[in-house]
Amino acid sequence: MPVKTVQALFAALMVAFLIIPLIVILPLAFTNSALLVYPVPGWSMRWFRELVENDAWRRAIVNSLIIGGGTTVLATVLGTLASLGLRQRLPYIGAVLRTLFMLPMVVPAVVLGIGMQILLAHLGLANTYAAVIIAHTVIAVPFVIISVAGALAGIDKRVELAAASLGASPATVFRRVTLPLAMPGVLSGAVLAFATSLDEVVLTIFVAGPNQRTLARQMFSTIRENISPAIASSAFLFIVGTVVIGALVLAVRSRAPKAAA
Amino acid sequence: MKKRVLSPRMGAFLLVAPLFFFIALFFVWPLASVMKQSVSDTAVLHILPKTAEAMSDWDGESTPSPTLQQALIDDLRAATDEQATGDMVRRLNSAQSGFRTLMAKTIKAANEAREGPVDLLEIDKKWAQPQYWKAISEALSPVTDRYLLASLDLTRDASGSIVSQPPEAAINTAIFSRTLWISALVTFFCVVLGYPYALLIVASTGWKRQLLLAAVLLPLWTSLLVRTAAWFMLLQEKGLINELLQTLAFINEPLALIFNRTGVVIAMTHVQLPLMVLPIYSVLLTIPKNLMPAAASLGAHPIRAFWRVMLPLSFRGILSGSLLVFMSALGYYITPALIGGAGDQMISYFIAFYATETANWGMASALGLVLLIITILLYAVYERLSATRERSA
Amino acid sequence: MVDIRIRFDSVSKNYGPVRVVDNLKLDIAKGEFVSLLGPSGSGKTTLLMMLAGFEEATEGQILVDGRAVNDLPSYKRDMGVVFQNYALFPHMTVGENIAFPLQMRGIGKAEIAERVARALDMVQLGHLAGRKPSQLSGGQQQRVALARALVFEPRVVLMDEPLGALDKQLREQMQLDIRALHNRLGLTIVFVTHDQGEALTMSDRIAVFNKGKIEQIGSPRDIYDEPKTRFVAEFIGETNLLEGVVDRTSAGDALVRLTNGEAITVTDAQGLTPGQPVFISIRPERIEVQDAAIASTGANAFATRVADSVYQGDHIRLQLEDGAGTPYIARLDRKSAEWPKGTAVTAIFKPADCKVVLP
Repeated sequence: MPVKTVQALFAALMVAFLIIPLIVILPLAFTNSALLVYPVPGWSMRWFRELVENDAWRRAIVNSLIIGGGTTVLATVLGTLASLGLRQRLPYIGAVLRTLFMLPMVVPAVVLGIGMQILLAHLGLANTYAAVIIAHTVIAVPFVIISVAGALAGIDKRVELAAASLGASPATVFRRVTLPLAMPGVLSGAVLAFATSLDEVVLTIFVAGPNQRTLARQMFSTIRENISPAIASSAFLFIVGTVVIGALVLAVRSRAPKAAA
Repeated sequence: MKKRVLSPRMGAFLLVAPLFFFIALFFVWPLASVMKQSVSDTAVLHILPKTAEAMSDWDGESTPSPTLQQALIDDLRAATDEQATGDMVRRLNSAQSGFRTLMAKTIKAANEAREGPVDLLEIDKKWAQPQYWKAISEALSPVTDRYLLASLDLTRDASGSIVSQPPEAAINTAIFSRTLWISALVTFFCVVLGYPYALLIVASTGWKRQLLLAAVLLPLWTSLLVRTAAWFMLLQEKGLINELLQTLAFINEPLALIFNRTGVVIAMTHVQLPLMVLPIYSVLLTIPKNLMPAAASLGAHPIRAFWRVMLPLSFRGILSGSLLVFMSALGYYITPALIGGAGDQMISYFIAFYATETANWGMASALGLVLLIITILLYAVYERLSATRERSA
Repeated sequence: MVDIRIRFDSVSKNYGPVRVVDNLKLDIAKGEFVSLLGPSGSGKTTLLMMLAGFEEATEGQILVDGRAVNDLPSYKRDMGVVFQNYALFPHMTVGENIAFPLQMRGIGKAEIAERVARALDMVQLGHLAGRKPSQLSGGQQQRVALARALVFEPRVVLMDEPLGALDKQLREQMQLDIRALHNRLGLTIVFVTHDQGEALTMSDRIAVFNKGKIEQIGSPRDIYDEPKTRFVAEFIGETNLLEGVVDRTSAGDALVRLTNGEAITVTDAQGLTPGQPVFISIRPERIEVQDAAIASTGANAFATRVADSVYQGDHIRLQLEDGAGTPYIARLDRKSAEWPKGTAVTAIFKPADCKVVLP
C-alpha cells in the first residue's frame, strides 16, 4: 500500500476511535426502550422526562447547578486575585506559590478526598453544599489560574505604562486597561471552573451527603447499580453543554483583541 | 513626600493571600491529615488515657500494680462510645489474640461493679500475664508505622523487626504493581497511537489539520464520566461493538470486552490520548519544517532521517506526554470502577474502599500516601522537563 | 538665556550592583529636539524611563521647569511617551486611544471630540478613527501613538526608538514628519535611538551614550565632524582609525607617528604632549586618492594599493592597503576615475581632516 493510503487510513481510524464513542451515546438518549442498547427500537423523550420528573435526577441536576455556580464564583474570584498578585515579580516565593496552586491538578483525587473528608468533618461541614463547593474549588482553581495568568502574560506591560504616562492613576489603569484585557481569560477560567465542578465525582463521593448528590455522582451510581438510558440522556445534556460552552469560549477568545504590532 | 500607601510587593501578597489561605486550609491541611492518619494510632490511647499515665510506672514484667489496674477499670467505665471502644478492642486483638473475649468480660465486670476497686485477676487469669499488658503498652503509643509497612506488605514480628506479611495478607504490592502495569500499558498505547497521530496533524494543512485537532480536543473537553459511560455502552455484551461484529458474522459469541482488563485499557487509552497528543504536537510545531528535506538532501533515507532527526527532536514531547499520561493514570478511579472487573481495580479503588467501606482510615491514608509520593515525584520530573524546555526555547 | 525645560542633575541608576546610568548631567532647552544615541545597554532608555517616571533614580534629581519630579508618579508628570512597539490599547479604537489622555484630564466630551479629530488630521488618519489598532499597519499604528502622545499638549514628548519596527522607507518618511511636527508645534522632544542616521537627521543636539555616561554632546555636525573620542568616531558613521603616538608638537600642529611606521600631521592639536598615545580618525570621503605615478609620498601621503573597488551607485568604495598591510577605506565620488584592483595609488590625508581622538 502506498504511504499516503496508510496515513489516510490511520488518520481515519484514529478520528473514529476518538469521536465515535462520543457520538454513539447521543441517539440512545432518545430511545423508548428501558435498555441501553442498539438497535434503538423507537424514539421518545421519556428519558429526558425521567431526568425532570424523577426526584433523584432532578435533584442531582439542581445540585450540580448550585455547586457548579458556587464553585465558579469562588474559584474565579480567588484565582483571578492570585493571578494578579503573581504578576508582580516575587523572587522564589512566586514560583513556589505557583507550583502550590497547580498541585491540586496533580494530586490523586482519592487521596485528596480522604483528607478533605477528615478535615471537613472536623470543621463540622461534612455533608453540606459548602463542603462540596470548597472541594470543587480546590481542584478548579488551577484552571482559572492557568487561564487568567495566560491572559495577563499576554498584556504588554508597556501598554499599562503608556496609560500611566497619559495621566491614568494606578486604579484607572487597572479598570480601563488591565481588567478589560484580562477579561477573556477570566471568562474562560470561569467556564473551565464550572466544567470541572460539573464533571467531578471522586471528591463528591467523599464530601457530599445524599442531599448534595450531583449529576455526575448520580450518573456514576446509576452506571454502577442499575444501568438506565437516563445515563445517555444526561450524557447528551453534558455533550450539548460542552459544545455550547466550547462555542462560547471560542467566541470570547476571538473577540479578544490581539496585541497591537 | 511619598504618598504610596502600599509597595507593589505588599499589594501582590495581599492579592495572593486569600487563595493562599484557602489552599493551605483546604488542600495542604487535608493532605497533612492524610499523612498524619497514616502513622497515627490513637484507637487505644483515646479510650485508655488514665491507663497510659499509670503505665509509665510499670516495669514491663511484673504483675501490674493495683493503681494501674484501677486506671484501666476507670477508663473502661468512662468509655461510653461503643464504636470507639470497638475500635480499641479490635486494635488490641490484632496485636494479641484473646483480647476480644478478655475485654468483653472485663468491661462487663467493670460496669456491673459500678464503682470501687475490681480485681482484674479475679475476672480473668490472663491479666496476670505480662504480654497482655505489654500489648496495651505498645498500642498506647500514638504513632505507628504498621499502616505504612502494611501498605508495602510488611509487618513487624514479635521481636519488632520488619518482615514480610504472610502471603495471604500480602495484597498491596500486587495492587500497586497492577496499578503501575495498567498505567504503563495505557501509556504505551497512547505513545504508539499518539505519536504518529501528532506527526500526521503537523504534516497536514487546512481543514484536515482542523479536523484532526478537533478530534483530539473534543474528547478532552467532554466529561470524563460521559466518555466512560460511552465506553460502557460500546463494550457491553450487547453493546455496539459486539452487535456489529455479530451482524457482520465475524464472531458468533459476543467478545468479553467489559469488566475485564481489555475494556479498562481501551477506555483509559481513549480518555488519556489527548494528554499524549497535545504535548507532542506542541513540540513538533517548534521543529522547522525543512529539517527532513535537509536531511534527505544530505543523503539520509527517510527512515534514517526520521530516526536521526525527527525522533531525537520530538523525544522531549514524547517524554512529557508519557509522564503526564502515566501520572494521571495512576490515580484513576472512575473508569476501572465502571468498566473493570474485580481484578482490574487500581489502587484508588482500594483507598476509597478502606476509607468508605471499612472506615480503616489508617490503611487508606497509608496507601494514599504511597500513591501521593509516587505522583509528586513524577510531577517533579515533569516540571523539571518543562522548565528546561522553557529555558531553552 | 535659554529656557531650561529638563535638567538631569547628577542622576544615577543602579540595578543591583550594576550602574546603568552614572552621575549624569544634562540640560534640555524648551523646544529642543535632543536625541539620546548609543548602543543597547548604554543607559539611554533607562534615562528616558526615569524621566517618564517608570523607573526611580538611585541618586540625583530630575527637574522639569525647575521643579524636582523624582517623587511625582508618572501619571502626574504630563509627558507624552511614544513607545517602541507603540503600546496602543488593543481593546480601544483609534479614536478612544487618542481620547484617553483627555478623559484622564476631565475634559468635556465636545472638546475631546474636537481635539481627537484635530490630532487625527495632524497625522492624516482622520478616516480610521473607528478602527481597532490590530487592523492598522505598523506605520499607521505609529501615527496613532504619536497623536495620542501629542493630543494633550504635554510639556515634553519622550520617544523610545519609535521607528525601530518600521521598514526603511517608512522610517525615513516618519523621521521627516516628526521633525516637521517638532518645528511646527515647537515641541520639546527627547528621542532615544541606536540609529545614528536617524539621530543625525532629526536632532538639534545629539547626546552620545556609552556605559551610562554621555561621551559627547553637540549638534549633528559637531558629532560627525569633530568626534572627541574613539567611541564617538566609530559609533557615528564610518571612519578610518589609525593608532599612533604624538611625536612632536609645534604652534598648534602635531606630528603623530603611526604604529605602521607612517607619520601624519594634524592641525588643531592643542593640549597634546609628545609621547601621548592617540588615535587619528579620518572619514572615508575625506581621503584623497591619486595616481602613484603623479603624487609623491611622505607625511600625510601614503603609498597604497587598491585591494578592492566596489561601485555602490552614488559612490565608489575603495579598499586600500599600505605596505604594512594596514587597510584604509576611501569613498570616492561616483564620477571619479576607476581604480582597478591592484593599482598602486597614493592616499592623501589633509591635516585639517585628520581628527585626533582619545582612546
